[in-house]
This record gives sequence, C-alpha cells and structure tokens, in this order.
Amino acid sequence: MTSPRGSSMGKQGRERSRAVREAQAAVLARRSRRQRWVLAGGGLVIVALLAAIVVVVVNAAGSKSGDTVAGAVVRPANATAAGALTIGDPDAPVRLEVFLDYMCPFCGRFERANGAEIDRLVGAGTVRLEVYPLAFLDEASRGTEYSSRTANAAATVADRAPAQLPAFHRALFDRQPEEGTAGLTDDEIAGLARAAKVPDDVVAQFGERRFAAWVAASTKTALDDISGTPTVRIDGRQFTGDLYQAGPLTQAITAAATGPQ
Amino acid sequence: MTALTGLRAVRHSDVWIFGTMLFSACLSLIASFVLSVDAVTLAADPASDLSCNINAVISCGTVGGSWQAHLFGFPNAFLGLVAEPVVITVAVASLGGVRFPRWFMCAAQVVYTLGFGFAYWLLYQSMFVIGALCPWCLLVTVSTTLVFASLTHVNLRDGNLYLPPRVQAPAVRFLHADLDVLAVTIWLLVLALAVVLKYGGTLFA
Repeated sequence: MTSPRGSSMGKQGRERSRAVREAQAAVLARRSRRQRWVLAGGGLVIVALLAAIVVVVVNAAGSKSGDTVAGAVVRPANATAAGALTIGDPDAPVRLEVFLDYMCPFCGRFERANGAEIDRLVGAGTVRLEVYPLAFLDEASRGTEYSSRTANAAATVADRAPAQLPAFHRALFDRQPEEGTAGLTDDEIAGLARAAKVPDDVVAQFGERRFAAWVAASTKTALDDISGTPTVRIDGRQFTGDLYQAGPLTQAITAAATGPQ
Repeated sequence: MTALTGLRAVRHSDVWIFGTMLFSACLSLIASFVLSVDAVTLAADPASDLSCNINAVISCGTVGGSWQAHLFGFPNAFLGLVAEPVVITVAVASLGGVRFPRWFMCAAQVVYTLGFGFAYWLLYQSMFVIGALCPWCLLVTVSTTLVFASLTHVNLRDGNLYLPPRVQAPAVRFLHADLDVLAVTIWLLVLALAVVLKYGGTLFA
C-alpha cells in the first residue's frame, strides 16, 4: 500500500523538480545568451568609439599640418609686411604696435582705458598706430570664428575705407561680446561698420572673407613673436607698464616722441 | 577559460578594487593640488594673468576666474583636497583588511556620487559654457570616474547600499557578467571622443 503511493508521489515529485530544474536552466541559458549579446554589442560600441577617436585625431592632426585657411594670401592696402593695419600719419615720430584679438577681453579693457588717448595722439600726428588683428581665439566663440570674422572685416575696412578704420575698430570693442559666446553675427558686425560710416559696398565684401588667409598668416607670424594679447610696443620695444589705466602709456609715448630729439 | 575565471576573481578582489581606488584617488589629489596652487596664485596676483595667453587651450585664464570655478565661494579644487584623502584612507585601510560598517560605505557612496556629479557638471560648463579646457580638470574628471566606479563596484558586491533584493540581485549579476567594465570603458571612450571632437584642432596645434 505504502510503496506504490510513495513511488507515485516520488515520481510526481521528481517530475516536478525536473520541470523546475529545466525552467531554471532555461532562464539561465536565456540570461547567458542575452549577456553574450550585450557583451558583443558593447564590444562593437567600443570598437566604433575607438575608430571614431582615431579618425577625429588623424583629421585634426592633418588639418593642422596643412594650411587651415584655403585661398591665396591677399595683403590689404595700408598693411605692413609684418601683418599690421596702419592708422595715422606714416611720418609720425612714434610707432605704436598693438597686437590684439577682437575676442580678447583684456584687449577690450586696454582699448577702454587707452583708446581715447591713442586717438588723440594719432590725431596730433605723434603716433602712427599699427594694429595686428589676430585670430587665435576662434575656439572661444562656439564655432562661429568670431576672431577671424572681425579681423577680416577690419582688414577689409583698412583696404577699402581706411579713414573709417579707427571708428570701426573702436565700435568692435565698444560692442565686444563676452569671451566664450558666439559673438556678434555677421549682420551685427556689418551694422557696426555702417554706423562707423564704412560705405555699403565695402561692408558687402565682409562675407567674401578675402583677407581670411592673410589674417591666418599674420596670426601665425605674430604667435611666434608674442606670448599673449594685448601686446603693445613703442618703436619696437614692448611696453611693460600698466595697460589697463590711462596715463602710463601716454607718458611712455610722449617720452618716446620727445626723448631722442 | 581558467585564465578568464582567474582574471574575474582578481577583478572582484579587494586588492584590485581598492588598489584602483587608491591609484585614482591619488591622481585626483595631485590634480586638485595643482589646481589649488593655481587658484591661490591667481587670487594673490590677479595681474599675473591679465592677458589672453597664446598656446594655452585655456584661453584667457577664464576657467580659473569664472564663477563656476568658485561655486561655493572658494576654488572647487579645495573640495578635492578635502575629499580625496578620505578616499585614500578608506582604500588603504581596506587594503589592510579593515571592514567598514555598511552605513559608512553607503554614506561614502552618497557623498562621492554628489562629487562625481559635480565633476561632470564642471566638465560640461568648461566645454560648452566657458569654452575652454584645462588638462588638470580633465584628469580630475577621469580619476573621479574611476574612483566612483570602484566604490560602486565594491558596494554592490558587498550589498552595502540597502538596495531591495529586486535591484540588488540584477546588480550583482551585472557585475558578474563584467558589464560594469564594459560600461566604464564605453563611458571613458565617449568622454575621450567628446574631448577630441571639441578640442582636436587646438590639442595638436
């Protein structure tokens, strides 16, 4: 009596436990299969990412070795061979060189402190100003290359409407955008130029970026020469006084104008 | 297969996990120290950096001088000087066989997760808002990620996080399937890709 019942229960029990075991094995198998897929997928993602990194690095290294700006270097009229735009009487006794980037906040501070004095000294025939509009802060304008666009615009004005260059130059610093922002749009830059009385047909040429290659070339030359902007030189010698308040620069210029004579 | 099993055993061992934690925390401490010294120098002599330096991807000293760099009123790097020695102590003690209570490890996880989030917020700010990159900041980001990964690894392994079984069991399976290695590798590669995409041109100038 007991043995058949017991054996039948045992059989049922064995079947049940086998079913449980099989179900568990199926779960495990499904899980490990899924894990294998995830690992394979992850491996693919890793390979793709590595490939993407290599491509980007190779591209970046390649574009740097060649010229970044295509096109022939056209030197604007009223520019020196060294890459400066000239303002003022070429026979003025003191040569004042200013290396700047229109995106550089410290250049803006320099301009606010000394711009009026420089204008006065240029007007008085004491100073011939040589402005180097550089474009090394292009990275700091969220891809809009603000430095290059403004430097090209300034070069275009120097080339076609040199009398308006001081006013345009001043306007660019009056409306200087914060570093790291997209900067002014092309239309806004054109608006500043028109307000500075640059003729419309000259403003219309900003978009051609005719002097982009010249800006790039003179930036490259200048970067071998200076370590930061603003860099200010009086008759070729670096001015080491306080750049950010009016006075010291004027004194140094006056001394240079009267000194040697 | 035995080599793989052996490798796995090593990977889940205290020596490996806390060794990684110790190494990464030391890197992070060094970077924080350099950044703190910079911040103090900058604060002592604001005129020392009153120009837009060429050849520094940090364009105009703007990263160090930005409000994001002083979110709590002092240079962020000071936080690293405070936090990383604690991580180093925990790692060294654990390597020496000390077992910290569950609540301690859980608290460490919570605090470090906040720091981890902060490191990535700063990275985002410097990449997309300030638009400059500082190499030491990037080292902090990477080493913080590694510390976070190793801390999370050990806390999941030991069940320190008071997770319900429904979450704990899959988390442990995740570790045993080595998916955490996969996740961290992908994470760091995405970071590397973002950096070369954004700064590729400047990095190789």
